[in-house]
Amino acid sequence: MSILYVLIPLALLLLGGAVWAFFWAVGSGQFDDLDTPAIRVIMDDDTKPDQEEKP
Amino acid sequence: MTTPSDTCFHCALPVPAACNLTVEIEDEQRPVCCPGCKAVAELIRDTGMSRYYDLRDAPDPGIGRPPEEAAEWSVFDSKDMLAAFTEPDGEMSEATIYVGGMYCSACSWLIESTLGKQPGISSAEVNPITHRLRLRFPSEDAKLSGHLATLANLGYQPQPLSPDSTTRPEVTEQRTALKRLLVASLGMMQVMMFAVALYAMDFQGIDADMQHFLRLVSFFVTTPVVLYAAKPFFTSAWRGVIGKKPGMDLPVSIAVGSAYVASIFATFTRGEAVWFDSVTMFVFFLTLGRFLEMRARHRSIDRSAALSSLLPNTATRIDGESHAVVPVSQLVAGDSVLIRAGDPIPADGILDSGTTSVDEALLTGEARPQPKALGDELSAGSVNLDSMIEMIVTKTGGDTTLGTISRLSERARYARPAFVTLADKIASYIVVALLVVATVVATYWYWADPDRAFVITLSVLVVTCPCALALATPAAFAAAGSRLSQLRLLVTNGNAVESLSRATLAMFDKTGTLTVGLPKIAAAFVVDNAFTERDCRRVAAALEHASTHPLARAFALQEPLPSVSSPEIVVGQGVSGVIDGREWRIGNAEFVGGGAAADDSTATHVFLGVEGNAVAWFEIKDELRPDAVQTLKSLRQLGLKMSLVSGDNKVAVGSVAQSLAIRDAHYECTPEDKLAIIEAAQQRGECVVMIGDGINDAPVLAGADTSIAPAHGALLAQTSADVIMLGDSLAPLTTAIEMSRKTMRIVRQNLAWAIVYNALALPLAAAGFVPPWLAAIGMSASSLVVVLNALRLNRFE
Repeated sequence: MSILYVLIPLALLLLGGAVWAFFWAVGSGQFDDLDTPAIRVIMDDDTKPDQEEKP
Repeated sequence: MTTPSDTCFHCALPVPAACNLTVEIEDEQRPVCCPGCKAVAELIRDTGMSRYYDLRDAPDPGIGRPPEEAAEWSVFDSKDMLAAFTEPDGEMSEATIYVGGMYCSACSWLIESTLGKQPGISSAEVNPITHRLRLRFPSEDAKLSGHLATLANLGYQPQPLSPDSTTRPEVTEQRTALKRLLVASLGMMQVMMFAVALYAMDFQGIDADMQHFLRLVSFFVTTPVVLYAAKPFFTSAWRGVIGKKPGMDLPVSIAVGSAYVASIFATFTRGEAVWFDSVTMFVFFLTLGRFLEMRARHRSIDRSAALSSLLPNTATRIDGESHAVVPVSQLVAGDSVLIRAGDPIPADGILDSGTTSVDEALLTGEARPQPKALGDELSAGSVNLDSMIEMIVTKTGGDTTLGTISRLSERARYARPAFVTLADKIASYIVVALLVVATVVATYWYWADPDRAFVITLSVLVVTCPCALALATPAAFAAAGSRLSQLRLLVTNGNAVESLSRATLAMFDKTGTLTVGLPKIAAAFVVDNAFTERDCRRVAAALEHASTHPLARAFALQEPLPSVSSPEIVVGQGVSGVIDGREWRIGNAEFVGGGAAADDSTATHVFLGVEGNAVAWFEIKDELRPDAVQTLKSLRQLGLKMSLVSGDNKVAVGSVAQSLAIRDAHYECTPEDKLAIIEAAQQRGECVVMIGDGINDAPVLAGADTSIAPAHGALLAQTSADVIMLGDSLAPLTTAIEMSRKTMRIVRQNLAWAIVYNALALPLAAAGFVPPWLAAIGMSASSLVVVLNALRLNRFE
């Protein structure tokens, strides 16, 4: 069980890293628009073959 | 997408009978209504974007139709303009453009794909919710004009925004809220994990050092949750204490704060129990509720853009002898500006040269043009109709009448829905009650059975966490808001759902709400047998083509018109012009040269005459919306009473009231009258929902319990409305009422469930029948039930 004394602080370090990464992502504007990206992915996939057929 | 053959494939307006324009798209000839739409459809096809027509939602008629005159975009390429509208970012520049006329996500796809292919653009991103386009391009060859022209050619109305109007408070608010939510949720998950270990060790026996270690770690993780994620609750509670108006955040703060401090004390004195898990979970659920509610609040129309899109981008400033085109933001009081006929007025000011009439419908709701002479005041946002004028600027930007109105309505926006506040309040009192009960239970068991006191107290705390109660209302409101926006209703005020469900009286404005708001020729009477009705209509259309008068639109025909030489607009009278060598006049009876007075005074009459003799007269009427009768019928079936208030005259109001069977009709009302009528109804105990679209209705809309504005009305009326109806139909009204009642039913079910659950679970836990692990499952399950129940709203038809 004593391994927990090492593993838990290690987990907390990872947690800190995750929080830092998320704060950076929010600060750089990646979460400002939560609606468009979902739509964008679907539409690009649908339209590419079509555009090639009809230049 | 299939379009009926008699409507335009591109913009869905009816195709005029005489129009034979078609566009070949996907191997079929599609009808279009005008050369402009043909050009746009061909542009879309030729750039390989035909899929747009499959992807888009059904368009509102007229949306996407290109403007008849090409705007002067080249002014945006000057150094000053680029500096004002772009933001340098390293070697790249960014510009934010408000795109008017977007109505679905296919539009954003079309814009992104078309602009993204243009040379000199590195990225183009559109947010379909805020209608903002973000363009990135190399700073070296920055040119906005080409991209703005492309947007205009696609049928949208681009509006560059200055960078300071793009960093809006909402963005900052959402970013901070997201960070807090993340800290709370990650913290909660971690602390829960340690808590499970602590519970398990209760059964298996625990090594005292390990228990102390886990508690220390929990304390370490809980600290940012309490100090960072829960900070808004503490600051708001403290503000309440200082202002001697303790709010609902005070009990929350006491609960969180005391449980936190007590847990720290227990940790360091190796006491009986810690409550870190309850603290983090409570903070998480509260933060989640607030976040959902904030998202719903932001999902409303963008007010800063709504304001700026009413004003022109540029103004022509008179600098001594020369004229300079400058951004409106650079105008200052004292500047002299030139305003052409048909252009919007860029700032408040005083007419300095020329006479004209202006359309102030946006500000006052008055549809008739207002004559303006030397020294009269002009308001920003109104439209100069007749002739070129010069104006001395007195107020600009936010100081103008328009700016003031919009700021006033903005203030109301940040108020929290009272109903959510109430639920929070109840939840926070329950938290305090819970702590008291927990103390009592702990004390009792300490005397009765000291060994079990800790476990039982823990169960009581966990099982009765009022998360379900705190989530009950926000979850239902968020689900209702998202479903309503799919049903083409935008809820901008969280209170609206609750007050709509109680509505007993629907009060309608007439023009533009119950009626179409666009005058149409209801009948044409030819007096002189030498002419056919068709001749008269064509001559009238040709003459009125030169006029910007609101009534002139009624005459528009989509066919080749006879050419008019030396057309002349006489303010307040009509238009004259020479066709085939004869002088024609259109306007009032006196101007045309006498004519039979009509007896039906519900309509406006326009006379047409040649060389002093009346030839024909037209009856111009504002028609009822096609679905007005049906909608009012279904509203009556829902038990609502109807009332009509209008600034229009007795006869016009009477005929509308009669055809809709509204008995309670008020005419010639000023906004003050309307407000008094609403207040009188409220005194009688009615819950009033006001449906109106004029900007002069803003105080009226604010006075009603709920206000609804159609999206085609004055933009500023929408800013003070609780609900905005998208699309061109009244039918969503019925949906809104039904949906709000259903939502409140779900809220009540949720609250009842949460209260029953807590009432049942508390005695069981206090009596010692619920082990901590079961308590944890019960608490999560009760929250889950509440959320799933709320999600049923998403299936509402």
